[in-house]
Amino acid sequence: MTAITPSSKYFDFRNALTKNRVAGIWRMMSDFRLPYLGATAALAISATAKTCTYLLLGYFADKVLTQQIYIAGTLNKTLALIGAGFVFSAAIEGSFSYLSGRLAAYTAEGITRRLRDFLFDHIQRLSFSYHSQTPTGDLIERVTSDVDALRRFFSEQAIGMGRIILLFVINWAAILFVNRTLGLISVVVIPFILLVSLWFFTKVNKRYEEYQAQEAILSTTLQENLTGVRVVKAFARQEYEKGKFEKDNWAKYLKGRLLLIMQSLFWPLSDVVLGFQMLFGFVFAAMMAIRGEITIGDYLVYVGLVGWLIFPIRNLGRTIVQASTGMVSYGRLMEIVKQTREPLTEGRVQPEGPVRGDIVFDDVSFMYEDGKIDALKNISFHIKPGQSIALLGSTGSGKTSLVNLLPRFHDYTGGHILLDGVELKDYPREYLRQQIGIVQQEPFLFSRSIRENIMYGVGRSVSNEEIERAAKAAAIHDVVLTFPDGYNTLVGEKGVTLSGGQKQRVTIARTLLKNPRILILDDSMSSIDTETEAEIRAALSKLMEDRTTFIIAHRIQSVMDADLILVLDKGQVIQMGTHEELVAHEAGIYRQIYDIQTRIDEELENEISRVN
Amino acid sequence: MNDELIELEEEEYTSNLTTPVFKRIVGLMKPHMNWVIGFFITIALTSCGDAYFTYLNKGMVDSGISLGNSAVVMHIATIYGSLILCQAVTVFCFVYLAGVLGERIQYDLRKMMFNHLQELSLSYYSQNAVGRLIARVTSDSGRVADLMTWGVVDTTWAFMNITTSLIFMAIINWKLALIVSVIIPVMVVIAVQFRKRILVEFRNSRRANSKITGAYNENIQGVRVVKALQREDENLKEFQVLTDTMYRASYRAAWLSALFLPTVQIIAAIALGVIVWYSGDQIMVGAMTIGGINAFVSYLTFMMWPVQDLARVYAEMQHSIASAERIFKLIDTPPEVHDRPDAVPAKTILGEIEFDHVEFYYEDRNPVLSDFTLKVNAGETIALVGPTGGGKSTIVNLLCRFYEPRSGVIRINGRDYTEYTMESIHSRIGIVLQTPHLFSGTVCENIRYGRLDASNAEVESAAKIAGAHDFIVTLEKSYDQNVGEGGNLLSVGQKQLISLARAVLAKPELFIMDEATSSVDTLTEALIQRGMEALMKGRTSFVVAHRLSTIRRANRIIVIEGGKITEQGTHAELLRARGHYYRLYTQQFRHELEVQYGVMDKEEENEDVVAD
Repeated sequence: MTAITPSSKYFDFRNALTKNRVAGIWRMMSDFRLPYLGATAALAISATAKTCTYLLLGYFADKVLTQQIYIAGTLNKTLALIGAGFVFSAAIEGSFSYLSGRLAAYTAEGITRRLRDFLFDHIQRLSFSYHSQTPTGDLIERVTSDVDALRRFFSEQAIGMGRIILLFVINWAAILFVNRTLGLISVVVIPFILLVSLWFFTKVNKRYEEYQAQEAILSTTLQENLTGVRVVKAFARQEYEKGKFEKDNWAKYLKGRLLLIMQSLFWPLSDVVLGFQMLFGFVFAAMMAIRGEITIGDYLVYVGLVGWLIFPIRNLGRTIVQASTGMVSYGRLMEIVKQTREPLTEGRVQPEGPVRGDIVFDDVSFMYEDGKIDALKNISFHIKPGQSIALLGSTGSGKTSLVNLLPRFHDYTGGHILLDGVELKDYPREYLRQQIGIVQQEPFLFSRSIRENIMYGVGRSVSNEEIERAAKAAAIHDVVLTFPDGYNTLVGEKGVTLSGGQKQRVTIARTLLKNPRILILDDSMSSIDTETEAEIRAALSKLMEDRTTFIIAHRIQSVMDADLILVLDKGQVIQMGTHEELVAHEAGIYRQIYDIQTRIDEELENEISRVN
Repeated sequence: MNDELIELEEEEYTSNLTTPVFKRIVGLMKPHMNWVIGFFITIALTSCGDAYFTYLNKGMVDSGISLGNSAVVMHIATIYGSLILCQAVTVFCFVYLAGVLGERIQYDLRKMMFNHLQELSLSYYSQNAVGRLIARVTSDSGRVADLMTWGVVDTTWAFMNITTSLIFMAIINWKLALIVSVIIPVMVVIAVQFRKRILVEFRNSRRANSKITGAYNENIQGVRVVKALQREDENLKEFQVLTDTMYRASYRAAWLSALFLPTVQIIAAIALGVIVWYSGDQIMVGAMTIGGINAFVSYLTFMMWPVQDLARVYAEMQHSIASAERIFKLIDTPPEVHDRPDAVPAKTILGEIEFDHVEFYYEDRNPVLSDFTLKVNAGETIALVGPTGGGKSTIVNLLCRFYEPRSGVIRINGRDYTEYTMESIHSRIGIVLQTPHLFSGTVCENIRYGRLDASNAEVESAAKIAGAHDFIVTLEKSYDQNVGEGGNLLSVGQKQLISLARAVLAKPELFIMDEATSSVDTLTEALIQRGMEALMKGRTSFVVAHRLSTIRRANRIIVIEGGKITEQGTHAELLRARGHYYRLYTQQFRHELEVQYGVMDKEEENEDVVAD
């Protein structure tokens, strides 16, 4: 892996936040302004060199061919010099055009890389609530398409506008220098063409979007058909599907044709207007030359330059329209940039060393930001270091909300939580998350190797022996060995698909390596087959040794050994105590759940005896 | 693997043009010969016209201005003006014709592929990932259409332009024209080399780009784990490696492109320099004029653009041909399951169904069913139970004739079912899949998929029978509610109810259901059960059963393990036998009751926050 120091390339785009988009884009360009100005200057030199080629041609025609003035004495030497002059100006034009392109690319790619890095980092540091409110697809769309639109703004559109304008200014100046009248009559239609092309490309842009939208519809139809092939076949709907696809396919064809008609009308029609403008200039200049008002060389210069003056203007319209979409993308990206990050290191206490794990909940309440219902209400309990607490309750009872408070994924809105006697909100988030390990019911693994997944987030270098030891303790080692590449086997689409239980054991191994003082265990055996259940139980109890443990429980078996059991309902504690205490309370819900196990066996016996 | 990666991977393939492929590509143009001929003619005319403009300019200088003859100037101006108008027409025609031909060929190819995909058997779908098929229909068709239109346009235009320019140059001065013709191959070779390198870098950058998108995706989806494990800094570092790769590839592609044109220009300038240097002698003998020199400058400039286009087409051609080969391969694949030539439509399939020593294996040749024999009477309900991978789904696939037995016979009413047409079998089957598949559109449209000519009242009564009506009317727009892409705006249970209604509407004689393993809420569950009951009445039914209520209701239960029937009989008989069925049943019994009593959380419903 290449070593990269983030600081050298990291640019905080929050500095580019401003209401004025143009000012914002200027700020984004910090560190790149000079290269970009250089690109523009190189463009000007290149355009000037091109103009000089034609001036040289004029000189050649007037002085050498007509008046037979020889620079170096003989015709042949003069011709050699002029020939060399053409090559020289082409070389200047070429090298500066290359330089300009290279500097523009340097700017565009450099800014984009910085922007990608920043957005990646920024997004992973935004709060939990931001992520639960924002669809992944929307974020992805912005960080890919909008970033690319901005890249094109720098690499093509801004520089493209500059190119057209420079070509116009320099060539026009040259023509004006040759003859003022000629210069003035050559630009008559320019404002008109510019306006028309602006209007036209705005229209075409719209039509193009419709065309793309139709393409998307067609893709959806196709995708649904292919994924639903069994349904299509089972209902014998092939002909119907063909008809449906035909309809979308034809609609796309028609939309494409409309776009083509627009394009194929615009270009020749504007060709006619510009062509007659050129012709008018040619005739005018030819007459002036015949009358002796300009030389034949001037005429050649004019004919050569006027094309570079007139034709690019059409593209200016197109570039301006495209650049405006770049501006829209800037706005969409800044909506992400302006979100505030989760402060990770902020905290009134900056403890060193691990926590002990003594946790007190004192009348804790919590409400999500949408604020409709209390997720948690008046929760109070005390748990000592190394003890375990089990949370029992149905879906939506608040178990997950409660454990999410501990690493400060969310902050409680009422009451106090004391960790080792200190208010939880006074600890920096970073510190808390170091101290807490989480094992999910359906863990999220990353598409990298098993080894990397076990090491993920441990935050120190880990030896292979250590990884294997953790894997053995988590009862996943033997499974890993059956994979083709052992610990180097990739997880996910390109590698093996792990079952829920296997994923869970990978996270148990990961948590063992991390060695946290506080443990949150989403203990579900629903996805685990009976053979491995015992192994996982053993792995879990190994993990729980000497750690303060929160267990989100789904079954009585996993609750019985806990030092404290909370039965939750609608965000409130409805029962609390040890297994023995709770079972003794006959009217309680815990006792009812406990009894079900025996009842199930009875019902099964009844059922079987009925058939006998 | 995401679709973009599939596409990239396939783009890597190049292929050389072989005669059969070439013939087929040309064959695609046949139906649109008028357009093809039209665009060849108009493009040829356009490029002749372009070259003639320059020649007219020469006349203007040599015969008009130099001789002081204003009548000639006006005469030439008239021709010039008319040529502008003619050019407008030919440009319109070739842009439109080439474009519309491209759209049309893409339309044709897509239609061909889609229609053929409808006929292909399930075995084809199991061997080809949907992502690849989509890439074939969407991108490959586009690439071939581009080759056949813009590729041809650019090539023709380039050849015509170079040829006509050379011809006019030869008319002006054949010796100087000879010098120019020497540099053309040099320019072409250099241009092709550039293009190839640019294309490679361009692909590298796209590959990096899709990795970047992947990294964004994973990091946003797994953001909670990232935060819990404090992997932010490490992730940023890893991401920067990706953006660095991207930066290098796209920067290189950009500066190579910026270097490309200047290089070609400088070569052209060298030729110009040589011409000027050499023109001395020619001018002396009167073989070269001022206008002639000027025309040479213009022609040389003109020739650079086509060389560029030629290079691009050549660089991309091999990839387009690979696309064409993939398309032809798809179209040429024969459907594995198809009607026999002497197939007759079945009048009814309500009757005895018999699997007679059926043997089956999928493409991997591992036996799935061996020596499978089963006789089912008309109107019987058969529950298929057993472990995953035992062969239950294969029985359903064979019954639906998605596949046919490798050996042995399946008989309907005593007759080998391959003697019937597929359409007559499929139109009499109602099927509900484990993961219900809906299409974009309204609820009503989705139900009507079962019988296309059903009235609204019939749709509604089918929904009532299936138990879907009640929830449908609570939707905002009732039956006109949009279900979203793949029905994603509805819950799993709702999708199941709608697919039940769809099957009811089809009035099938044979009902097949692959019961969902995932749980839905109790109310919906009860509705689904009622709907199924209604459907099974009076028809032969096969249910891959997971729920106890379904199993108990069956006339006969078939336990399938390892491709064989290990037990069969009624519920009571099998329980008494205390074999495989007994074990499966008691396990499921416990599980269902645990869910019912609310001890276990259901797998499908996650709590709203962290459970990822």
